[in-house]
Amino acid sequence: MQMSISKSDAKKLQKLRLKASRKDQYKRFTRTKAGNFFYTLFLVVFGLYSILPMIYCIITSFKPLDELLVFPPRFYVVSPTPSNYLTLPSLLDNLAVPLSRYAFNSIFVSVVTTFFHILVASAAAFVLAKTDIKGKKIIFTVIQMSLLYNAYTLEIPRYLIYSTLGMIDTYLVYILPAIPSSMGVFLMKQFMDTNVPDPLIEAARIDGAGSFRIYWQIAMPIVKPAWLTLTLFSFRDMWSIVPGGTIFSEELKTLPFAASTIASGGIARQGCAMAVTVIMMIPPILVYLISQRSVTQTMSSAGIK
Amino acid sequence: MKKDKNTETITIAEGSSATSVKDIIKAEKAELRAKKREERLKKKQKIAYDHRGNIIPDLNKKHVKGIESKKSMYGRMFILPWCIGMLLFFIVPLFESLWYSFCYVEVAPGEMYSVFEGIENYRFIFEEDMDFVNNLTKSISSFFTSMPIIVIVSLILALVLNGNFKGRTFFRGVFFVPVIVATGVVMTLLTRSYGGYGAIVQLSAKSAEDAYSAAGTTSGMDFSALLNQLNLPEDLTAQLSKMITDIFNTIWTCGIPVVLYIAGLQTIPAQLYEASKVEGATTWEEFWYITLPMIGQTILLVIVFTLIELLTQSNSLVINQAYTQMIDNANYYHSAAMLWVFFAIVGTIIGLIILIYSKLCLKRWE
Repeated sequence: MQMSISKSDAKKLQKLRLKASRKDQYKRFTRTKAGNFFYTLFLVVFGLYSILPMIYCIITSFKPLDELLVFPPRFYVVSPTPSNYLTLPSLLDNLAVPLSRYAFNSIFVSVVTTFFHILVASAAAFVLAKTDIKGKKIIFTVIQMSLLYNAYTLEIPRYLIYSTLGMIDTYLVYILPAIPSSMGVFLMKQFMDTNVPDPLIEAARIDGAGSFRIYWQIAMPIVKPAWLTLTLFSFRDMWSIVPGGTIFSEELKTLPFAASTIASGGIARQGCAMAVTVIMMIPPILVYLISQRSVTQTMSSAGIK
Repeated sequence: MKKDKNTETITIAEGSSATSVKDIIKAEKAELRAKKREERLKKKQKIAYDHRGNIIPDLNKKHVKGIESKKSMYGRMFILPWCIGMLLFFIVPLFESLWYSFCYVEVAPGEMYSVFEGIENYRFIFEEDMDFVNNLTKSISSFFTSMPIIVIVSLILALVLNGNFKGRTFFRGVFFVPVIVATGVVMTLLTRSYGGYGAIVQLSAKSAEDAYSAAGTTSGMDFSALLNQLNLPEDLTAQLSKMITDIFNTIWTCGIPVVLYIAGLQTIPAQLYEASKVEGATTWEEFWYITLPMIGQTILLVIVFTLIELLTQSNSLVINQAYTQMIDNANYYHSAAMLWVFFAIVGTIIGLIILIYSKLCLKRWE
């Protein structure tokens, strides 16, 4: 029997059913009490072990100066103060570039690069996964091979290319080399192979959709989890990018550079260093929270060939 | 009619004046060439013919193109930006570095002069640079000790996190957030504050001066001071401190493998487990006969990812040495040779591991 219901009602129903099926899942596996206890213990111990440095960092960032110098250091704050955060902007006064400029650079570079990387990588992956272009196999071999290489190792030949293209000391040095990174193409290709069915594409083509339309309106929505994951990884990599020998003007340098400058100030600056670290942790975590539901789903497709 | 083995009848075109076999062959070859030329011409003109050789008028209008050619044209356009980037920032530098590894290179601002020297650089790094061979064996052996640990620990973590319990999303977050957050400077700052000048060294050192001096000398996690207080034999202390440090680093490197494993585990159909339960299998048997064979591919993927992560990270000994050679000593030719040796070895190792693993495990599990 079928009934016509409004869209919002349908969504509610779907949610309800999902909840019910989840409850069934919980019931299916039963564990003894001792088993449960060890399960929880294992999780808590390892979880604490992995997250403790971050907690310590957050706590330290709220310590006033006298508590920072207490020995041995405490894992708690007696009188928390935001002064570490408030003094941050004035710390870099002598550098002539305000802290907000570094933050802007980092955000600008990360967002732009992530956007173009996803566009370029997914278009290439679409072609590799769903068309019979010549040299497909060779290109894919190159991708797999290039996963092995570290960007550091190619720095000098790259520097020559940057200088011939006139890219040195511009934003392009951050953005352009990161766009054709092969990890994204690899991930997207594996996902498109399994998740975008060929009959769907053929049907769309018969209905008169062009290649771009198929890519943009059919393939991309299906692989949304994949590009959300890619957003996360790409953003994470770009967020931590440090200018190498290719950026000279101070107003083009990124936040990690400012953070390491602050951190080199010694023990007394430790509170401020931790404050910068906390600030730098926020954007990746936000991106993670937005895309976290999709992350595990995507990885499964990349793993199963 | 009797047929002679050595002769065959040949049809000769009428009116030909050929007398010997050679002439006939010549004539036929010329004919073939003419045909080919004709076909080539047809192709060049892009004229469509049907099977009888008549010209099909409709298909010869300019705007009509085959769907296939249109598709591949779009395909090329789609992949072009990526290909250009790849060529410019990866393939060209890669081959340049291969070339430089055979040269003597002089770096001048904005330019480079190279003189071909053959395998001189390779000879130098193996025979005269003692550090390199040392670092090479060290990084490769450290990889072989830490890779099994990472593969197994992350599998256990993934099995636990994949179970059903309340707060699963939260705990996954706990294990995954450090992976996302701790890169580059944040990673250094976090580990330094926590292990270097931070909590652990300060807790373990007897006085503040000790702590600060320890902070000056160590980078990253250091538990040895804490262990020194226990008055254990020195060898044991060193071993223990190395192990504890390794555990910490291991858990942080386990993030991506755990995600991969969880994803692999979720693709195992639940019916398999139900069936095995009906048959009366224990949990151990379930793991051994269902879970492990089903995630065989994922394990391979994890091994490869771990290998790449361990060997190409910038604090790997060889890469570090090559980098200092390149930046501090402006000695690019040696560093290129080092990296090429390293990557040849890494590539071989990965290939061998994939081969052995798929022969031994995947085939048996199929």
